[in-house]
Amino acid sequence: MSGLPKFDLDDIRRLLPSFLAKQRWYSGGEPDTIGIEQDEQLHDRMLWLLVDADGKRYQVPVGGCATSAPPDFLHGHDASIVGASNDVLLYDATLDPELATALLSVVAPDEDVTYVRPMGAEQSNTSLVFDDRLVLKVFRRVHDGANPDIEVTAALGGVGFKHVAAPVGVWERDQRHLAVVQPYLQGATDGWALALTSLRDLYASEHIDDPAQAGGDFGAEARRLGEVTAAMHVALARAFGTDKADVGQWVGVMLRQLERVGAEQPWRSQAEKVFQSFASLANRGPSIRVHGDYHLGQAVRTDAGWFVLDFEGEPARPLAERRLPSSPLKDVSGMLRSFHYAAEVALREREETDVKRLRPLARAWEQRNRKKFLDGYLATDGIDELLGGNEKDTEAALNAWELDKAVYEVGYELGHRPDWVAIPESAVLRILEEE
Amino acid sequence: MSELGDHIQLTPTEASDPRWYQKAVFYEVGVRGFYDSNDDGFGDLRGLTEKLDYIEWLGVDCLWLLPFYQSPLRDGGYDIADFFSILPEFGDLADAMTLLEEAHRRGIRVVADLVVNHTSDQHPWFQESRQSRDNPKSDWYVWSDDDQKYKDARIIFVDTESSNWSWDPVRQQYFWHRFFSHQPDLNYDNEEVQQAMIDVVKFWLDLGLDGFRVDAVPYLFEREGTNCENLPETHEYLKRLRKEVDASFPGRVLLAEANQWPADVVEYFGQGDEFHMCFHFPIMPRMFMSVRREQRYPITEILSQTPEIPEGTQWGMFLRNHDELTLEMVTDEERDYMYAEYAKDPRMRRNVGISRRLAPLVENDRRVAELLHAMLFSMPGSPVLYYGDEIGMGDNIYLGDRDGVRTPMQWTPDRNGGFSKADFARLYLPPLMDPVYGYQAVNVEAEMRDPSSMLHWMKRMLEVRKQHPVFGTGSMEFISVDNPSVLAYVRREAESGDTILCVNNLSRFAQPAELPMQQFDGLTPIELLGRVPFPKIGELPYFVTLGPYQFYWFQLVDQSGSEDRGGDDA
Repeated sequence: MSGLPKFDLDDIRRLLPSFLAKQRWYSGGEPDTIGIEQDEQLHDRMLWLLVDADGKRYQVPVGGCATSAPPDFLHGHDASIVGASNDVLLYDATLDPELATALLSVVAPDEDVTYVRPMGAEQSNTSLVFDDRLVLKVFRRVHDGANPDIEVTAALGGVGFKHVAAPVGVWERDQRHLAVVQPYLQGATDGWALALTSLRDLYASEHIDDPAQAGGDFGAEARRLGEVTAAMHVALARAFGTDKADVGQWVGVMLRQLERVGAEQPWRSQAEKVFQSFASLANRGPSIRVHGDYHLGQAVRTDAGWFVLDFEGEPARPLAERRLPSSPLKDVSGMLRSFHYAAEVALREREETDVKRLRPLARAWEQRNRKKFLDGYLATDGIDELLGGNEKDTEAALNAWELDKAVYEVGYELGHRPDWVAIPESAVLRILEEE
Repeated sequence: MSELGDHIQLTPTEASDPRWYQKAVFYEVGVRGFYDSNDDGFGDLRGLTEKLDYIEWLGVDCLWLLPFYQSPLRDGGYDIADFFSILPEFGDLADAMTLLEEAHRRGIRVVADLVVNHTSDQHPWFQESRQSRDNPKSDWYVWSDDDQKYKDARIIFVDTESSNWSWDPVRQQYFWHRFFSHQPDLNYDNEEVQQAMIDVVKFWLDLGLDGFRVDAVPYLFEREGTNCENLPETHEYLKRLRKEVDASFPGRVLLAEANQWPADVVEYFGQGDEFHMCFHFPIMPRMFMSVRREQRYPITEILSQTPEIPEGTQWGMFLRNHDELTLEMVTDEERDYMYAEYAKDPRMRRNVGISRRLAPLVENDRRVAELLHAMLFSMPGSPVLYYGDEIGMGDNIYLGDRDGVRTPMQWTPDRNGGFSKADFARLYLPPLMDPVYGYQAVNVEAEMRDPSSMLHWMKRMLEVRKQHPVFGTGSMEFISVDNPSVLAYVRREAESGDTILCVNNLSRFAQPAELPMQQFDGLTPIELLGRVPFPKIGELPYFVTLGPYQFYWFQLVDQSGSEDRGGDDA
């Protein structure tokens, strides 16, 4: 090959199906039909493609070089090679530092960077870290309409909420979000990893029966996380407004799920009563835009405190449904359930002979951090207006949301990890017992 | 006096790098507790001089001496009764000059404590000032008819003082004191006081002292409606002091004790025209906390709140010193936590701190002590060691005030730990004699003989640190690690081209770490203590495993083109 690569669209269309089938962000085998909806040369060596594969849109930036001189960065990345077209070797452009940087300058033209690395193993999108300062997230599957994560983080940034990585650049075409550039949260660890660090320390501590006395106590972190969560809800209410709570609809969804998951369960009728009494509460506050899929893995600790990630909602649901307003207690209950999971999962790391001795500690850890989280949450300015009722009503409502989450988890575990079903089941029983 | 001063100035240390303090390792020592040369039970300057070979052997660059001035010793010598003479128990001016000469001959510098904020109430200045309202020194201290002024100033020694004002029955007025009531504050609004303190500084620098650690600097001036700390007038005066020092004594150092948040402390560097060095206070409790929490955030968040400092300045970093583990700079919740973790016995609580030495603070776990030192030596700043910590000395919490951490240096397993031949009862403080930390178990002589001792480890670390000035003056970048128990950072310096990766495991369990090191693709990490080459860094995250409380220092070297590891030693 002499000079710059020439991209042959027919060749590329022919090569794409087998390439797509090898990608982790592509679900399923080789597509039956493939079409190139849009193409644009963004760089001398990069052709950007919007591909229709069996009716689903994907974004594929393709790089090219001489087949005679494959670059080093392709070494060991066979799955990222699209194929050869004449004397041009075609490959996933995000692997090429120069092309990745070119892509970055399309999304955030003002940024100057010197080096790039991929960000860990990711399933559904491709994220690249530049200078340990910026992340470029290339959405592979392209949906119609605004991406909820961009929508929410931008809006939260707009009302001055500091605990999200608000976008510094967004690439949008035909009302579809294609890529976003956000600040890279340097040195961040997710809450799940931190919680497990605390639990491992606790479980290995002799002569400690109060988690507050353990070296790895998580209480102060849990409290700060509660404060950030409440501030997030206050900011969400400011950014997206509030609605009158449609408790009837919420309870309807809860009951339908109970019907699906718990029809055979001995605790079904008792759970029903909890949901029904939730419907009859007098004060329940407004409904607001919520995170929607809130747990320890969605919060990361940084040097500037906790940050909240991933406002895409539960990915299994359709976009429109993910945007529906709900109660802030839905997020709170998600986090509280996550504390229980963390304590139990860390317990499962231990030898079976230890488990009986350690279970009271697991319970104490969970209790302490629930309390600390709620203390922080409820003490935050502005949260009272979003909870509406008195303390007792809030407690009852939170109980119902938590029960709902635990019922969902029972269903999920039965389908995916039957070994784990005991975790949410014990939570269901506990909540009903405390009623 | 100046004749002798001129003589001292011919010493070799004068000629070298004027920014020596950016790369130096300091060693804090109380003359009283180091070595007794005349068997009176009190350590003295001659004793310290006799032990200079040890300090040189250890690899220390600069001694920091606690106050050695004439004093009634009601505050460990920080209550100075005469700035121009030596406490008789320590010796005399000739002894001080011998010490300076002998230290300089070994390439060791000496800085000393100086208290500029206040004096002892025994100081002739105060004795004169209190006599009347119109004597020549009547305005040298801060006097008032009532005790209602400057209400916004906090009380620092909350355990012993209830007000910053005390009544003087002689002058029939109140005097101002930010510390103990026997330590009246000098009145810096008086030009004569300002000049008098500059004369004190020049006197000692003239004798050959290499600088001062200046005690309690934020409190020099008082202004109504403020908290009387960090006032502009205080900075202005300190800049004047610096100018006078630079003009006559280039290469000497001024080190500030300003126990404040980093953002306030940096004010004391000025634009590089105030203090050469300031202590970084908040990092120290955070290091202890990180190890207990087994996660790095207590450290990284305080470092991320630490502003850049001007060219030519440096942080002073320490794990322990003669004072308590200072908790003024942590939040209430963290303070409660530190108390709960480190001071289960209320006697250990002094003011708002904890009076413990390093070894007992970490429950005598040598792995933790080594990890903490490794971090101290590899973070930006000049480390300050506290005498005795290099051998893992303990403390005696049953001694009053802060004396628990000021017991005699333990030299040998012989009587009085080899510190003094005086009768036991004459010693200024009893040496430690408990079975774990007592001088029979922990002493320099035994550790010298034991090649795997803490002492030898420390000496080796100081050696390696000295070979890599990047530890003093290089930049610091954190490496993002998913594992919260692992703290990794790169120190780098364009000038020397030296790049060092430091990885620390804050956990008591073994931990894995995947380090995103792609920007160093192709370089070979060489472990600095053993010079063992590790596998080359590639385009994937660099994977290391660390044992409990383990650390690595890797020099990143380009070995492409050389098959063996060569002799690349920075």
